[in-house]
Amino acid sequence: MKRVLASEWRKVTTTKLAWVLVLVAMVYSVAQVGTLVLLASGLLPEVPGQEALLRDPAYVTTLLAQTGTAATFVLLLGIIAMTGEFRHMTITSTFLATPRRGRVLVGKMLLFCAIGVGVAVLTLVTVLVTTVIALLPFDHAPVTADAVVSVLVGAAIGLALYAVLGVSLGSVITNQVAAIVVALLWVLLIEPLLGVAFPDVARWLPGGALNAAMDVGLRADVTGTLTTAEPLPSWAGMVVLLGYAVVLAAVGSRTTLRRDIT
Amino acid sequence: MSALTGPVLEVQSLTKRFSRSVTAVSGLSFTVQPGRVTGFLGPNGSGKTTTLRCLLGLVRPSAGRALVEGSAYATLADPVRTVGAALEASSFHPGRSGRNHLRVVCAAAGLPDTRADEVLETVGLSDAARRRVVEYSLGMRQRLALATALLGEPGALVLDEPANGLDPEGIAWLRGFLRERAAQGGTVLVSSHVLSEVQQTVDDVVIIRGGTLVHAGPLSGLGDRGARLVLRSPDPQRLVSALTQDAPGVEVTRRDDGALLVSGLSAEEAGRRAFAAGCELHELSTEPDALERVFLELTGGAS
Repeated sequence: MKRVLASEWRKVTTTKLAWVLVLVAMVYSVAQVGTLVLLASGLLPEVPGQEALLRDPAYVTTLLAQTGTAATFVLLLGIIAMTGEFRHMTITSTFLATPRRGRVLVGKMLLFCAIGVGVAVLTLVTVLVTTVIALLPFDHAPVTADAVVSVLVGAAIGLALYAVLGVSLGSVITNQVAAIVVALLWVLLIEPLLGVAFPDVARWLPGGALNAAMDVGLRADVTGTLTTAEPLPSWAGMVVLLGYAVVLAAVGSRTTLRRDIT
Repeated sequence: MSALTGPVLEVQSLTKRFSRSVTAVSGLSFTVQPGRVTGFLGPNGSGKTTTLRCLLGLVRPSAGRALVEGSAYATLADPVRTVGAALEASSFHPGRSGRNHLRVVCAAAGLPDTRADEVLETVGLSDAARRRVVEYSLGMRQRLALATALLGEPGALVLDEPANGLDPEGIAWLRGFLRERAAQGGTVLVSSHVLSEVQQTVDDVVIIRGGTLVHAGPLSGLGDRGARLVLRSPDPQRLVSALTQDAPGVEVTRRDDGALLVSGLSAEEAGRRAFAAGCELHELSTEPDALERVFLELTGGAS
């Protein structure tokens, strides 16, 4: 398994796309923090200032929790890693070197678990620096170590599980374009709609479970899917997300991964 | 250079159906011995690639088995060190450099990264090592595929149409390289749809057509199956009667340019008969493209 992990890590680091996606994830989180501070600041001519918000510790925590916006990007990263093997037919040399196919899938899932944690750390550092700088000109609530730690733990777990979910989804839908379209439609459209229509159901869906998983001791709606329904406890969110990943990977390894590579 | 111990490759009653109507390979059996270069021949679509993919565990046989030294590829303890395979020149990530592609495989097989640079040197790709594969020509991708096959210093090489896209210099190099591998004791199985491409390289041939075996054995035996003599004489009538007299198995046909094509006689016997009949000869030779003709007849490509 050590060999599979080393090989998979090389695959990720020797193409540009992964670096680009991580960079975009970080830029996006910076933009989110900047926008939230700007909206509250009263500096925008059309928006009434709500400077009181900046003095609310919960709002400052919400700024830090923008780390979680990287979830969609690690989901894509996992999908692309798995489906890219089929798109470029590198799956041939992958299976020639590691003919026990299940090992390849498990290796990718473990690696992306770690990559999710890594991206969470990178993004949190970026968000933290952005938050501290953006709040400088204002009277604001302090950025506490407690908040940073709980966001870090939540985001690390949430992003790790979402990256794994991406890999396992890619093992079921091996067509790269199809898998990305399905994932983006789900994240951006279907789940938010379901969240409005059936909030009780939505908390059991991946986005709702992600919110719950990242919500370690704080209330921060980072994916915009949190609705009136009480989210699951964070442990339950983690279990639900992991469940989705395991079920998809089981389906993928019984179907797609057993197929002939021609 | 150290001696290789190549594994025996065995295909046993192999059948592969892709759907109810598409049977790619049907009841195919043959054995590939170490120390020899075996040509796996057949027209495009005859099932060569499917057979090789079954051997490498990429395609699951519908029936029968394809084994490496008695084991299925997927159960080999160290596949990359046992069988080196080059299947097609297109299965690389276009954005990854040739060297990094090799290093990905090195990591998966537990090989030191220095092997990547060594095999790049062997196939003559060192200068392009750090360029992205998208910038490679077809010939360069063939070389990279071959380099991948060589990474684990395997006893067996399984190469699918390796000469495609190689320039004449590359083909000559490949020929020498494969001969040397076999001379060292390695197993070499190389597929092609053109006999002339491998004619000077292979010891044995396995010829298939429509997924079934039509001939397996030494290349020399294939020529014996139908090599004809070319004879030319100013008095062909007399020559024909001299050759066919008391020789029921001999067949003579007249070529458009007046030469006689004779089957069923050795060159020695034909010369002796012509001499005995006092018949003047202007040519007595073996048909130069006999192998190709036999091959085309066997594979159904002859007109």
